[in-house]
Amino acid sequence: MIRNTISKGYAPRTERRAILTIILLIAEIFIFSIISRNFLSGQNLSTVLRNATDLAIISIGMTMVMIMGGIDISVGSSLGVVAIIIGWMIQAKINPLLIVLAAIAVGMMIGIINGSLITYGKIPDIIVTLGTSNILRAAVFAMLGGRWLTGLPPVFSWLTAGNLLGIPTSFYILIIFYIIFWYFLTFRTSGRHIYAIGNGIEASSLSGININRTRLKAYSILGALVGFSALLYVGRLGSVEITVGIDLPMQAIAAVVIGGTSVKGGSGSIIGTLAGVLFMAIMRNGIVLLGIPSLWERFVIGILILISVGFDLLISQRAKQLQRIQIAQQREAAISIKSH
Amino acid sequence: MKRKLNNIFFVLLGNRIYFLIGLNILVIIIMSMISPYFLNAQNLLGMTRFGAVLAMVALGETLVILAGGGGIDLSIGSILSLSGILFGLIVKSGIPIWVSALLAIAIGGLLGALNGLTIAKWGLPPLIGTLGTMYAYGALALVLSKGMPISGFPKNFSFLGQGVILKIPVQVLLIVIPTFIILQYIASKTHFGRDIYLIGVNEYAARFAGISVTKIRFSLYVLDGILASAGAIIMSSYLMTARADVGNGLELQAITVAMLGGTNIMGGSGSLIGTMLAVLILTMVASGLQLANVNTIWQLAILGLILLTAVAINQAIAINEAKKQGIA
Repeated sequence: MIRNTISKGYAPRTERRAILTIILLIAEIFIFSIISRNFLSGQNLSTVLRNATDLAIISIGMTMVMIMGGIDISVGSSLGVVAIIIGWMIQAKINPLLIVLAAIAVGMMIGIINGSLITYGKIPDIIVTLGTSNILRAAVFAMLGGRWLTGLPPVFSWLTAGNLLGIPTSFYILIIFYIIFWYFLTFRTSGRHIYAIGNGIEASSLSGININRTRLKAYSILGALVGFSALLYVGRLGSVEITVGIDLPMQAIAAVVIGGTSVKGGSGSIIGTLAGVLFMAIMRNGIVLLGIPSLWERFVIGILILISVGFDLLISQRAKQLQRIQIAQQREAAISIKSH
Repeated sequence: MKRKLNNIFFVLLGNRIYFLIGLNILVIIIMSMISPYFLNAQNLLGMTRFGAVLAMVALGETLVILAGGGGIDLSIGSILSLSGILFGLIVKSGIPIWVSALLAIAIGGLLGALNGLTIAKWGLPPLIGTLGTMYAYGALALVLSKGMPISGFPKNFSFLGQGVILKIPVQVLLIVIPTFIILQYIASKTHFGRDIYLIGVNEYAARFAGISVTKIRFSLYVLDGILASAGAIIMSSYLMTARADVGNGLELQAITVAMLGGTNIMGGSGSLIGTMLAVLILTMVASGLQLANVNTIWQLAILGLILLTAVAINQAIAINEAKKQGIA
């Protein structure tokens, strides 16, 4: 019964916004396939998917954190640190299973540090992650010592480069992760707590939600996902360079807001984020296919963030206005009935 | 006993200005122990040159944060880069240097105005709005300069960034100090300045008092852009080239300095004097580390640590004060 009201009460509204992103995505695919003949080839599409897998996984965590009204701009640097550790472990020929566990554990630890500074240190999330992002970036520099980590044996390349039944393995990874987290955010109690905190900390705390624990949980899940993405990253590139993940926070935030998650927290959906990630990935691919210098990429993404957030704000303001008008009309109607 | 210790901690930190002066002296002592070249008047005065750009940017950042509403400007480094590149391109096209400098400042104001438009008018969260423009402006600077430094400034232009008057670096004497005095006057003595603090403390109260929150926040982002572009001019004169990467990481430094200077991240309290003292500390630490041959990589980490500690201390003070008021 409760499950029913939840799925009827909350999910459809956020998913309606996701449909808009999906329509945009289809329009984008349509436009690029007209402009460039190579775009719709199977090889190009699977390359796009492969290159977007790590971003897609991180964006799941970013969606959760942003639905809570938070943000994390340290994901790029923490991915770098984990990727270097993975590289070292591969070079030391450690059992791949152990490497996977270590990567997720280290990522999670970084997430827990961020999360506890935010919840128990009572420092705003932007300041915490700005600080840790720079500390971790310095760690990346120091760990690499000015050289790239190259020529890593392809222990994890099957994660993104492989094919299963003619479909890239990264496709399966995406589907599995997105279904799990869609289920978590839509139907699990702790998933709904994340939405509740985004809608109002005071109210959620009064209704018995453990705010600190939920926030800490979200940040550590994000950290673990970053750790897993580092595996995909190392598997995909076989090297770690000094600028590893430098654009990642921006890309993840862009994907999340294009997917319709409210920057003020409280609403958003995993499906929208997936559409946002694909939208961004195809946009980057299109920029390359059209022969536009890649320097423009950051410009386009920056503007996309502004436009999509501005658009959402406009819509929500309009909705509020309509609501206000409705309430006023109802009140007038009620008054006129009384006076008769 | 624990309470007494607690009290001492808060009294020490209670007056931020004295605390910062003390910290300045402490840094001087530590740095002169690390490097024998550190402590002489020539070096100390010359060092202020490196803090000039940071001071300009940090003053703007402090005002934006003071005005509350989650105000923050992450795009400040990119504004500096972009207006510097445009300044270089304008000078290269043959327009006299003074006119181009004015144009560059106008451009900085425009770039800031776009931030103000999206944040103050449309209501974008400052964090997201300036994150978007941070990438957009930074990329535009790279695209316009094609990744190459722009040179070709007239020779006597270097006076601004490299010259000295009375042994004091020109940019500090003629730009930073006057700017600071003017802004300090505005912030502490004018209606506009007091309104900044009021909207930082309580936005709703300010609205009921008839203050246009939108207008003030908007003009602060414009001012922020203008200060950043003035910083860009100083930077181009010091380097005698305009580069697209000069502003990278400047937003972290500016925010760190504002926090260390005692500005509350939620707005409403803080001072420009504190920010200036914090700029001094950061500049001394940076050049002291350079003298001591510490790898510049670690400066990033140290900055991050200072930022986190400063904000943690600020929050502790704010919570302590709230408790006190709650009791009283």
